[in-house]
Amino acid sequence: MTASLKKISANKQAWFAYGMLLPSVVIMAVFMFWPFLYTIYLSFFDWNMIKPTKEFVGLQNYINVLKDPITYKVFWNSAVYIFILLVINFTVPYIFAFILDFVIGKMNGFYKSAFFLPAFISLVVGSILFTWILNPISGPVAIVMGWFGLEMPIWSKLDGWVIFVLSLITSWKIFGYNFILLYASINGISREIIEAARLDNVPLWKIFFHIVVPMSSATGIYIFIITIVQGLQFAFTPIKVITQGGPNYASSNVIYHAYHEAFVLYRTGHSAALSILTMVIFVILLILEFKYVERGIYYENK
Amino acid sequence: MKISKKVSVPWHIVFLITIFLLIFPIVFAVGSSFKTLQDAYNNPLSLFSLNPTLENYQTFFDSLPALQITLNTFLIASVVTIFKVVTSFLAAYAFVYFIFKGKNTLYFILISTIFLPFTVTMIPNYLIISNLGLSDSLWGVVLPQLADAMGIFLLTQALRTIPVSLIEVARLDDMSHWQIMRDIVLPLARPAVTSTSIWFFITAWNEYVWPVLILKSTENFTLPLALQMYISSEGGTNFTVAMAVSVITMIIPLALYLMFQRYIIGTFTSSGIK
Repeated sequence: MTASLKKISANKQAWFAYGMLLPSVVIMAVFMFWPFLYTIYLSFFDWNMIKPTKEFVGLQNYINVLKDPITYKVFWNSAVYIFILLVINFTVPYIFAFILDFVIGKMNGFYKSAFFLPAFISLVVGSILFTWILNPISGPVAIVMGWFGLEMPIWSKLDGWVIFVLSLITSWKIFGYNFILLYASINGISREIIEAARLDNVPLWKIFFHIVVPMSSATGIYIFIITIVQGLQFAFTPIKVITQGGPNYASSNVIYHAYHEAFVLYRTGHSAALSILTMVIFVILLILEFKYVERGIYYENK
Repeated sequence: MKISKKVSVPWHIVFLITIFLLIFPIVFAVGSSFKTLQDAYNNPLSLFSLNPTLENYQTFFDSLPALQITLNTFLIASVVTIFKVVTSFLAAYAFVYFIFKGKNTLYFILISTIFLPFTVTMIPNYLIISNLGLSDSLWGVVLPQLADAMGIFLLTQALRTIPVSLIEVARLDDMSHWQIMRDIVLPLARPAVTSTSIWFFITAWNEYVWPVLILKSTENFTLPLALQMYISSEGGTNFTVAMAVSVITMIIPLALYLMFQRYIIGTFTSSGIK
């Protein structure tokens, strides 16, 4: 394949390739790479987006961020979000994909379509729908719970509960996408190995952990990381729409808090420093991923 | 490999319950949007009203420039889709069919932006759009979305499935790159290009984070922004109207999904990783 590609490039048309890349590169340079660098720059200045001059403060913004107890609260909240999002959108779809492929083996098309459907709907819609369905007084869930003598907690006002419900709403949107990719990966695993294991009466859970998970690990790690990085960003929408981070920062996460600092409190430097710190944590996660890649995890598509 | 029904039946039930949890909110919204507020409070569990009414839709059209808002959403989503398909397709074509210096590095750098949280770009982007005088305008919403990593990634994966030998033969026949793209690659990649376009359209249609920073006046709003206005009065009188606006917001994405789900699931399935 490489040899045949070389024939094309032998026509010395590399400039053609650069030309084709130009639109994407220009747009991403202006709206992605330059802003990223400028955010790093802003993290060293005291500014409020309106003042004509920015005052250089060195590392002061970072020190302030690290001294602020709210920072630790939103980082802790983010960890809780990540934990819940991973259970619902990594562990569960992994098991479901395995079950659908190897245990059920029927109606795959129907289940895939139904699981994926909410991925097409706005999370603002999701947030509004769930706010009413889970309304603690007059929502249908509260009424059904009432039949059993149970009371719906006023979740939007309670620490812990609020993150749990907002994570559920976020999961409604991202569950199907993760499921589809994990299913595709598991579906690509050679049947023979698993047939052989089944003939030897290896229990299903052993097949899952010792054959299926290792052989789908490339997709698995991708979904794991994307759930953390994009999950926190998806959670921004229900947070903004339903609670604005409240009560008293109980539902805020690092993404929402950076937005809050920048566009509600106008503390540009503080927001930038927090975003860069978040980014550093994400990069560490990515480096961990690529370390795995170097160790040669199993690539199902090669 | 036969597995007994005893094992699979409970799992069917688990799956159907999951589907119920995912789909029920949508059905609930459609049902409630045709109820009067009174009806909705009296019969919250009956999905559909015995006396359906259009008054919630009427209220939305009376209280906000609803047609304009729907049109804005449509325009933004269309412009973003058209540009993004073109930019992503060109980039994908270059990455798949050309060898040039720095190819792998550039691909890696562009694709890794999938992992950039939007908070590290939002303040400068807001300043750029303001300085261009585009805040509170549709172009301000559109500009930063005209190219992105996900599009390049999906189309690169799609083009990789087209045999290179076809392109080679065409080159030997002295076809130009534009001819090859138009007459060979595009027709073969059509399912992937179609479903990627639909994905772009829906993503832009549903986009909330960026428009909420840029758009200020209601006549420039998109549907998700109009919708969030109805949540401020919690427990208030707008619940059934919010359901009507929800239905209007999701009807186009749902229709597109139902029409093209096979293509779309296929594209994501075959996109795989790396």
